[in-house]
Amino acid sequence: MSLRLNEDQTAALQELANIGMGQAGNSIARIWKEFVHLSIPKINMVESTRIPELIHGYVGDTEVSASRQAFHGGFRGEVLVIVTSNDRNGLAHLMGYEGSLDIAEREEVLLDIVNILGGACVGGIAQQVGAEIGFSAPSLIGEHLNPLEVIKPNQLAIETALSLEVRFIVENRSLSAHLVILLPNNEVKALADLLDQFLCTL
Amino acid sequence: MTVSVLIVDDSPIARKMLRKALPADWDISIQEAGDGVQAIDIYRQGGVELMFLDLTMPNIDGYGVLEVLQAEGLNCIVIVVSADVQPQARERVLAMGAIAFIPKPVNPEGLQEVLKQYGILV
Amino acid sequence: MVDLKDLELPGFIVERLELGVFAVDPDFNVMLWNRFMQTHSGKDLESVQGQNLFEIFPELPQDWLKRKIESVFALGNYAFTSWEHRAYLFRFKHNRPITGGVDAMLQNCTFLPLKDSTGTVRLVVITLQDCTDTALIQQRLAEAITISDEERRKQQELIVKLEDAKNQLFQSEKMASIGQLAAGVAHEINNPIGFVNSNLGSLERNVGDLMKLVNAFEKAEAGLPPESQITLKRVKKEIDFEFLKDDFTDLIKETKEGLDHVRRIVADLKDFSRVDQTGWQIADLEKCIDTTLNVVANEIKYNVTVVKEYGHPPHVECVPGQINQVLMNLLVNAAQAFPERGQITVRTGDEGMYVWVEVEDNGVGIPPENLGRIFEPFFTTKPVGTGTGLGLSVCYNIVRKHEGELTVKSEVGKGTCFRLSLPLFHGKLDETSDQTEASTVNAP
Repeated sequence: MSLRLNEDQTAALQELANIGMGQAGNSIARIWKEFVHLSIPKINMVESTRIPELIHGYVGDTEVSASRQAFHGGFRGEVLVIVTSNDRNGLAHLMGYEGSLDIAEREEVLLDIVNILGGACVGGIAQQVGAEIGFSAPSLIGEHLNPLEVIKPNQLAIETALSLEVRFIVENRSLSAHLVILLPNNEVKALADLLDQFLCTL
Repeated sequence: MTVSVLIVDDSPIARKMLRKALPADWDISIQEAGDGVQAIDIYRQGGVELMFLDLTMPNIDGYGVLEVLQAEGLNCIVIVVSADVQPQARERVLAMGAIAFIPKPVNPEGLQEVLKQYGILV
Repeated sequence: MVDLKDLELPGFIVERLELGVFAVDPDFNVMLWNRFMQTHSGKDLESVQGQNLFEIFPELPQDWLKRKIESVFALGNYAFTSWEHRAYLFRFKHNRPITGGVDAMLQNCTFLPLKDSTGTVRLVVITLQDCTDTALIQQRLAEAITISDEERRKQQELIVKLEDAKNQLFQSEKMASIGQLAAGVAHEINNPIGFVNSNLGSLERNVGDLMKLVNAFEKAEAGLPPESQITLKRVKKEIDFEFLKDDFTDLIKETKEGLDHVRRIVADLKDFSRVDQTGWQIADLEKCIDTTLNVVANEIKYNVTVVKEYGHPPHVECVPGQINQVLMNLLVNAAQAFPERGQITVRTGDEGMYVWVEVEDNGVGIPPENLGRIFEPFFTTKPVGTGTGLGLSVCYNIVRKHEGELTVKSEVGKGTCFRLSLPLFHGKLDETSDQTEASTVNAP
């Protein structure tokens, strides 16, 4: 079943996601003690076969590292974080790691980044939408990846997904990361119901 | 006296949410603008007393509107309503002439406090 | 029905599970410390209750852990650590006092926010899970996978070697059947060619005689009556007599050259197909090279230098005349690789049961699409009429009959290197000696 959000639901999601990003940015800034910026989420229905080129579109022809975390509860899905090595190292220093990182630390940093960014952004949206969300442990997708290889569509469990793409920037340190929040199309109904509930209150 | 209010936000949902958070028995007439250009137009037509202004809008954003308003005498009260709740944003808009900054999601009690504080609501 | 309240289940879970459970407030004071933590840290509840975690345990990674806990207070969502990245939070003795295998307990930790009714996080609860056993199993699994991958890699290498050997065998068989064909053709052509050649000689002599007569008639022409002279002049013009005289000489010359070419082809074909099994001697390859260099001195232009890097290998058992032919072919080919100037390097050496000779030039090189075909009979990139295209195929056959190897490496614009390797002894090679070990890559 392929369900799309209707116009009202999409508008509602856009605004609630914006607000959620504002809250998330605020929380993250308090933890990392730096002014951060989360872009307005871009909302799309995307076919799984097109996700690799979508990701390539974010970063271009540069090697990236990626990690993921699943969330569940009011609605279910996964969040990906895609970051270049330089940005990963910069964020590591922001998070209290010192000096150059060994491989265990590099991997740990990637897991922490998705835990914090994903947790803040998905949590922010969930709070506005009125959903309770829990998270599984994060895991590593890989380092030194070609952007087109971050997601392999034939290994995905779904054919289409609702995607929210957010760009995370720490301006003072010229650091950035990309987040993609993906809801499988069979989970969209749960979100649509929550958005309808919210629209009723307006 | 009916207060003339202008709500500026590119999201129709956001404008609805703000409407809903306004005090129930307030005597106001509400206009809406979906972007900065429209907002400036309506402002220039005259009569707007209170403007609720969002920051993130395409074309001319909230900061841009504030700039124009400042240049043209700032003939109305501007309250910025924004999802970007970090201190820097707040400081910046206050420096540009807004009298208050209200974070989204708009809390009705918080909004009332601000309106009372600045004598807009008695 | 069991009444859970009587059993104090939650307390049981926190205290008695084989899981470390403790909690801190926003100032990092310890508010919960279960039995697992007490046993493994050696600190009982009284000594830690309400104390600052980092004062009780100064060896904890303070900066990193403080930020980790702070992020849970601020965001209100879970955080995790994994033994794979961080072996442990607390250095506890592991649970394998007898069997060993690891230094200290390996731990997975989860950080859980405990919220009050307003949603504010009041405590962060931290669970500590002993993963030592799982970790060891995973480690062993990883090692097994590495070994298996190595095995697979070796298998791949073996497969590649087998492919190479198969290709070489295929090439040899192709050459052998062509050799048989060549022998037959040479035999069949020989007689007719001889016939034509001899007739050509007769024709030349006969026409020469005829021309003598014509010249004599020409001398007598002046004395003929005018009508006859006019008729003769008209006929001469009709047949274009002047041109005919010259053309005849050219025609004969070119026909002779053509026949010579055919005879060279036949001779080479015979060479190609016949390799004597007699004439085996022990020879010094370096002497053979020197001799051959003398023979081909004329072919090597003055602005081509020949550099010798002799390794003084042992003498080999071979048919010297044939090996000289191979060397000559390689040297002449190399000499022809330069449009202007260049260098030919000749190296010798030995490896195991083989002696090798390399003839390398820094000339124009052979394009990859031709590299696989240069040993094919009649394959040539030279213009029509020059060379027979049989040289390298003859060489290949000679070397094969010696149970040796002839291989080539080349790069366009950089140069070409032929490598000839011969076994020290003829026909006495060990069954198990690996041909592929002594080989270089055959025509990439």
